[in-house]
Amino acid sequence: MTNNSINQTDSAPLLEVKNLGVSFFTPRGTVRAVRDASLTVRRGEVVGLVGESGCGKSTVAFSIMGYLPGIVQVDGEILYDGKDLVGMDESELEALRGNRIAMVYQDPQTSLNPTMKIGPQMREVLKTHLDLGKQEIRSRAIELFESVGLASPDTIGERYPHELSGGMQQRVVIALALACEPDLLIMDEPTTGLDVTTEATILDLIVDLKDRVNAGILFVSHNLGVIARVADRVTVMYASQTVEDADVRNIFNSPQHPYTAGLLSCVPKPANELGITPRLKSIPGSVFEARLEAGNECLFAPRCPIAHDQCTQNAPEISDADGHQVRCFFPDEVTSDIWGELKPRRDFESEDDAVVIEANDLNVRYRSRQGKKYILFGDEAQPPVRAVVDASFKVTKSRTLGIVGESGSGKSTTARALIGLTQKSSGSMLLNGDELETDSANRSDDQRADLRMVFQNPTASLNPKLPIKHAITRSLKLFGNFDNQGAYDEARALLEAVGLNPDYIERIPSELSGGEQQRVALASAFAANPKAILADEAVSALDVSVQAQVLNLLLRNQQENETSFVFISHDLGVVRYVSDDIMVMYAGHVAEQGPADAVLSSPSHPYTEALLSAAPEPDPDATPSIIRLDGAVPTMRERFTGCFFADRCHRKIDQRCDEIEPPAQSVNSSNHIIRCHIPIDQLVSQS
Amino acid sequence: MLRFLLVRFSLIFITLAVVSLAIFGVTEVLPGDVAEAILGKSRTPGALETLREQMGLDRPAWQRYVEWIFGVLQGDLGNSLVQDRPVTEILGSRLQNSLVLAVTAFLISVPSAILVGVWAGVRQGSNADHTVSVISLVAISLPEFVTGFILIVIFSSTLGWLPSSSLVMPGTSPLARPVILIMPIATMTAVLFGYVMRMTRANVIEALNTNYVRTAILKGLPRWQVIWRHAVPNAMLPTIAVISINVGWMLGGLIIVESVFAYPGLGLSLINAVNRRDLPMLQAISLLIAATYAISNLLADLAYAWLNPRIRISS
Amino acid sequence: MIQNTSAARSSFAQISKVINPLTSAFKTPAGRIGLPLVLLHVLLAAFGSFLAPYSPTDFSDATYVKPFTSAVDGAIPHILGTDQFGRDVFSRLLSGARSIILISGIGSILGVALGTAIGMTSGYLGGKADEIIMRIADGLMSFPSLLLALLVLSVSDSLVWLDGISSTFATRKESILVIGTMAIVHAPRVARVLRSATLTIKTQEYVDSARLRGESAYYIIFKEILPNALPVLAVEGSVRFSYAILLASSLGFLGLGVEPPSPDWGAMISDSRSILTRAPWVPLAPAAAVASLVVGVNLLTEGIRDAQKLPTELPE
Repeated sequence: MTNNSINQTDSAPLLEVKNLGVSFFTPRGTVRAVRDASLTVRRGEVVGLVGESGCGKSTVAFSIMGYLPGIVQVDGEILYDGKDLVGMDESELEALRGNRIAMVYQDPQTSLNPTMKIGPQMREVLKTHLDLGKQEIRSRAIELFESVGLASPDTIGERYPHELSGGMQQRVVIALALACEPDLLIMDEPTTGLDVTTEATILDLIVDLKDRVNAGILFVSHNLGVIARVADRVTVMYASQTVEDADVRNIFNSPQHPYTAGLLSCVPKPANELGITPRLKSIPGSVFEARLEAGNECLFAPRCPIAHDQCTQNAPEISDADGHQVRCFFPDEVTSDIWGELKPRRDFESEDDAVVIEANDLNVRYRSRQGKKYILFGDEAQPPVRAVVDASFKVTKSRTLGIVGESGSGKSTTARALIGLTQKSSGSMLLNGDELETDSANRSDDQRADLRMVFQNPTASLNPKLPIKHAITRSLKLFGNFDNQGAYDEARALLEAVGLNPDYIERIPSELSGGEQQRVALASAFAANPKAILADEAVSALDVSVQAQVLNLLLRNQQENETSFVFISHDLGVVRYVSDDIMVMYAGHVAEQGPADAVLSSPSHPYTEALLSAAPEPDPDATPSIIRLDGAVPTMRERFTGCFFADRCHRKIDQRCDEIEPPAQSVNSSNHIIRCHIPIDQLVSQS
Repeated sequence: MLRFLLVRFSLIFITLAVVSLAIFGVTEVLPGDVAEAILGKSRTPGALETLREQMGLDRPAWQRYVEWIFGVLQGDLGNSLVQDRPVTEILGSRLQNSLVLAVTAFLISVPSAILVGVWAGVRQGSNADHTVSVISLVAISLPEFVTGFILIVIFSSTLGWLPSSSLVMPGTSPLARPVILIMPIATMTAVLFGYVMRMTRANVIEALNTNYVRTAILKGLPRWQVIWRHAVPNAMLPTIAVISINVGWMLGGLIIVESVFAYPGLGLSLINAVNRRDLPMLQAISLLIAATYAISNLLADLAYAWLNPRIRISS
Repeated sequence: MIQNTSAARSSFAQISKVINPLTSAFKTPAGRIGLPLVLLHVLLAAFGSFLAPYSPTDFSDATYVKPFTSAVDGAIPHILGTDQFGRDVFSRLLSGARSIILISGIGSILGVALGTAIGMTSGYLGGKADEIIMRIADGLMSFPSLLLALLVLSVSDSLVWLDGISSTFATRKESILVIGTMAIVHAPRVARVLRSATLTIKTQEYVDSARLRGESAYYIIFKEILPNALPVLAVEGSVRFSYAILLASSLGFLGLGVEPPSPDWGAMISDSRSILTRAPWVPLAPAAAVASLVVGVNLLTEGIRDAQKLPTELPE
């Protein structure tokens, strides 16, 4: 299943977007959501539209559907089948939407009507656009549910959206889009927000669809790995403009726009042939905002390493060389090292193996109150949820433990128990050899100062009503014996250390970008030099270029202050990049743990294997691995027997998996541990 | 479902128990007692003593409370101090009259408010929407006695079309002369209409901005179908809560409206009871109003559960 | 130096934070009408006694004087005419404004303060205590506020212990009872809203961060949560004020709450029912006054809501 399997692409384009401009007029001023975007989709081809958040890629997608709410001005042309969709009246659009042009959205959970069964939601599309009898509609609906791989297609129509998992919901949304066999399918971040194993199965479905349906697909995503997996051609957007457009291999192997090259070098990649993980490069500065009016200049020039005088005096147009289009005056100067030369991830190795954080048989159980609304009445409470089961691990000085797993794996609960925000049920936690109290409120100031946490959502981790200095100076005063003046000065120094202008200190969080906010959160965590930091999905909400900046800041802090990290993420690539040790969690259980290299290579736990093969690599030539998991991560309750992974395991052996808890097997008597019934020597990779 | 009902009914029971305690507390346990209240400022110590004994007020409060509650449970709400007849006898026809008023107002205002709310919500920002919004804001801002007064000035004093007071002969039904009901119903309708319409409008606007409505639009469904099958059912969920809360509000409004139009319902009885310090009467009416409110809340919850598949499945 | 400026900045920030919902409401169409309307009423209530040309309570022979005419040549004209006892309607209106705005204002401030304290504490602590507090609030809310006020007022005569309090504040016992009732009926409703706001804010990571710094519950509630609940609080305050006015004027209309000669908008309407045809301006003036005040407050509420992008809340 390679990207070039389809060669029956028509010469006449199905969709042509020409110099599209979209401006929203809001009470706070004009937003140029799209300045100048051009792209082409042909029948039978998947065009990937890629860019960071706010670059206008979704606006392009919704412009094609003619769905732009608010006061809006659209310039340029959107030619579908030769007809211009811009300015087309509502009744003509209604006839096209859902019929000839259909869309799949991000966040399937909110895209389906919560008060309506799946069946009627499907049937109303068929009824509106096709001239079919009642019985035909019914059977067509079942056919469609079957074609997107939904289990029990004949009964699924009787269910409500909330009864389905996220992956199933997205399959329903895709089935809705396919209902009338559209010519053009627009997919806007269809796998964003799904777990990585679910994402892999949806991507498989999309790749499979490409061969089955005779449609053109515009696939919008911020994720380069996903784009590499599905796209034939790629269009790159930056600051509301399309900046590069080429065959997927050309984009990934020989990008001609410095931004594309930079974006690619921001993505964490596996170690190279020499076993060295290259340090991430990052793009300095921030995106040219959509609120600003562009002058006669290249919008990327302020961040560009190869900018010339010409770039700030003239605005480059798209130029075409052998079908590789690029908006740059100097595409020939773009090489792999314009963003800096290859350096190893970090240039130190810790010798000190003093244990900083230790957890022994850590357990967290939630007494769920679901359905029990009142004190005296309501349903019987269900058995407690086993959020974390018997987790034991150590983090030594200036090393990083990465915890990876999907949502519901218990990785965040582990961190919250460590920090004292969630109550552990049993087990012990030690910091520098001293017992940690269960509740953060009962710990000493020193312990609180030594163990800090960085949260996922930078917007939520700073109080929106207080200046950004607040969190930093409070930490300094409480932990560092600083007086007002001292804390103020130190806070400025900390801001500078994380690469922020110290004059930002009086600003409120909404005046900062997401990346800047996360730097503030880091500054506040670094205050008073903690011994260890827990980072819970600390870069997950950030764009790749910003993510790289933050990851490098973390590594620098580790190097300078010998800090230990527990780094939690669902993104295997990021965990692989930062971690010395890795712990893979599934449904509250530790499936596998040990040194990073050992965990990521054979032999591995079947779940680790599935996780590794699900993670999309930003390389169009990567052979997609075939191990796929059905279903979703279950919620583990008390009185559960057998192996935690048995339900979804592709290598389940026999009755033992359902009845007996898997043993912790040590690989070659090292600290690499795998919890599985299958003997170690049979756990070597099958592929 | 049965379980859900059971839970809700026991909750109503608890609420009413709390309310009954509060009513009893306000009227009995507060410093001073019924006897003082009846005799007012013109009391003499001797008369006070006699009346207290007569009413059994010399016994502890909790005993009297238990007696009262047991009476209530057996349908005995005591005797009116003023009319010296059983309270239930007096209130029977009064309750009927009030129900005629309240139910008619409810049946007129709620459906029309929902229709107008949807109509305005779909046209958000248009002149029609602004007009309806302003009218409804004024409707909820005017106290019932002002609305009623304005109606009287227009339709009674000026045009002379309608009688300015809505007297009902004892023993007859207000429905015998429906013309007297027009202004009281119109007054009650105004406020209720305003609230329900505003809430419907806000919820429709919110629903129209959801992703599932966007999905419906991008499926190419005709506009009416997007609105009535996707936006409105979801918008009705929070609206129901407003309607149920408004029933409580309406019961308060009833007191004023009946007083404005001298309409012989529960509200007027309450005012009379207050003015004459007829405490058994007061307690009975208060309890009745609280019970009505609790039951209407239950009905709203049932409607909510019926519309919301999430609750329906889980209960 | 920096210290001083930053301290000055933060105290300025504190003040602007409190009035921010009002100033930003002024930027919305609804607020632009509502805020001046409310301010006008408040100013008239505060300084009305200086403006009033006649005594609000003294009878005179000049009965049924039409608006904008003088009883005798050369005298100050009766802007809104006089009533059946020859009292100047405009002067009575100004005097009535003072009492209704004072009573409703104090009543709603007390109710909001009480409700905020209860709601935020309950929401922040959570657990069983929270559940019990909210059950009690539900019970209290199932009682129409007018009914509770009527019940309380019906026993006012016997509340001898209140005499002391009312003489301390140089006011009537009924006013204190009405204010107290307002506080009691509003507190559970405010508590509900503030509790749910607190529950949402509590789960935010900056509250977790504060807990991890070892901040006290008191600090977290007032310093971290309260500023974020301020828009909700402003809306609640405004909503409560409008209901307080409706309650106070309704009680006046029913003849409770005020002693006959002293002017009350509600009472002015009910007292003039019999002269409706003869002198329609007498009830019309207070009707317009109460209507414009409540419309103003409701517009202000709308303005704050729009400016803060808050959803429309449930009434009562």
